[in-house]
Amino acid sequence: MSQSASIWLAEAVAVYLKEWRCELRTRYALNTLGLFAFTTLVVVSMSLGAEGVLAAGPSVLSVLLWILLLFAVTAGLPRGFVHEEETHTATALRLAATPSALFCGKLAYNASVVFLLQLLLTPLFLIMMQLSVEKPLLLIWTLLAGGYGLAAGGTLVAAIIAQARTAGTLFAVLALPVLLPLLVMAIELTEIAVLGKAGDMAMPRLLLYDGTVTVVSLMLFPAIWNP
Amino acid sequence: MGPPPHPACTIPPVTAPTTPLRTQLRFSDLVRSFGRLPVLQGVTGAVQDGEAMLVTGRNGSGKSTLLKCLAGLLAPDAGKIEHHEAGQTLEPWARRLAVGYVAPDLAFYEELTVWENLHFFARMRRVPTDRIAELLERVDLTPKRAAGALSSGMLQRLRWAWALLHSPRVLLLDEPFQNLDEPGRRTTRDLIEEHLEDGGVAVVANPRELELPHHEPKRLDLAG
Repeated sequence: MSQSASIWLAEAVAVYLKEWRCELRTRYALNTLGLFAFTTLVVVSMSLGAEGVLAAGPSVLSVLLWILLLFAVTAGLPRGFVHEEETHTATALRLAATPSALFCGKLAYNASVVFLLQLLLTPLFLIMMQLSVEKPLLLIWTLLAGGYGLAAGGTLVAAIIAQARTAGTLFAVLALPVLLPLLVMAIELTEIAVLGKAGDMAMPRLLLYDGTVTVVSLMLFPAIWNP
Repeated sequence: MGPPPHPACTIPPVTAPTTPLRTQLRFSDLVRSFGRLPVLQGVTGAVQDGEAMLVTGRNGSGKSTLLKCLAGLLAPDAGKIEHHEAGQTLEPWARRLAVGYVAPDLAFYEELTVWENLHFFARMRRVPTDRIAELLERVDLTPKRAAGALSSGMLQRLRWAWALLHSPRVLLLDEPFQNLDEPGRRTTRDLIEEHLEDGGVAVVANPRELELPHHEPKRLDLAG
């Protein structure tokens, strides 16, 4: 690895570790995401009841799973860059960090939070909704690729809205068009995994989306972050 | 194996080296407005090797805005900023990473301790951790206290330690003595003196006179 690449990687890792250290001291994102997801899951489960769950079927339940994940992410992820601006730590970061390394460190942190949320939420969801999965491996890959896409799109939108006054509202408005294609593909793949249907092209499309959002984010972020 | 390279050493030059081992910061005809409010209107100045510049002016005259432009935190609407270090001209993004900056709006992670904050930025800047202990001792700051629990004077000391972490050649100091007690003022004046002795340059925005026993600063009055 070249020296500049190793410096870049060290910066990204430093940002990732700093994010986790701050999060473990405050537990803001973990509490927000976890409580929101768990509360919504319980409400949905109780509202539907056993008969409602059966009547809804795998297609509707796949939609519900991703809506739960989307709303939980919308509640917790914008904090990353907004908090840096609100507490004025963004100035120190701007003077010390390479933008692409900063973005990747934040993205890695957000992705790990989303994966953790999925790890806790998905088994509960499957149990409470009495869903059996025909292709569990495909579901795991869908959650990983979809979770990464949520984190990548969410991190980019969070960076865009960080300096706005109504950051929370803007996040929801801007995130929708960015994350909508991802949700459509992730829901389709979840349905395929649950029902065991054929659908070979859905996963490559989801991975292509993830790659595109990552590349576009890395190209846009320096312009968003720098004055 | 020696310590990791100073980040400035990894910054690529945009022009070929001409005058090695020379630090120079020049700015000319800087214009910056906020909406329809003009703040900087054709500000020009230069400092080089061992020179300090005192920027004075009444409140709202643009002292902080000038320093933010020089640090690369704000883009001027017009005008030119040239930062030369060791015979290289730094791009705006490289200038941002190379300068040492102290300002009242500079904040740190309140959840982390003083040492953790500096350790994070030392990792970002590839600075050996020995440097943290050295700076904390110099500014007389307790490493284990949370940044959120620091008094305003201690926070100012942390800003100084942070700014000097990567041994910058250019120091941009916006009200550098704010909230400091007399020993703190003495220490930071000494730090500026040592920086200038070492050939560095400093641009200081301060409402009062800059009393440096061994260096007579240039003056730039934004009110005038």
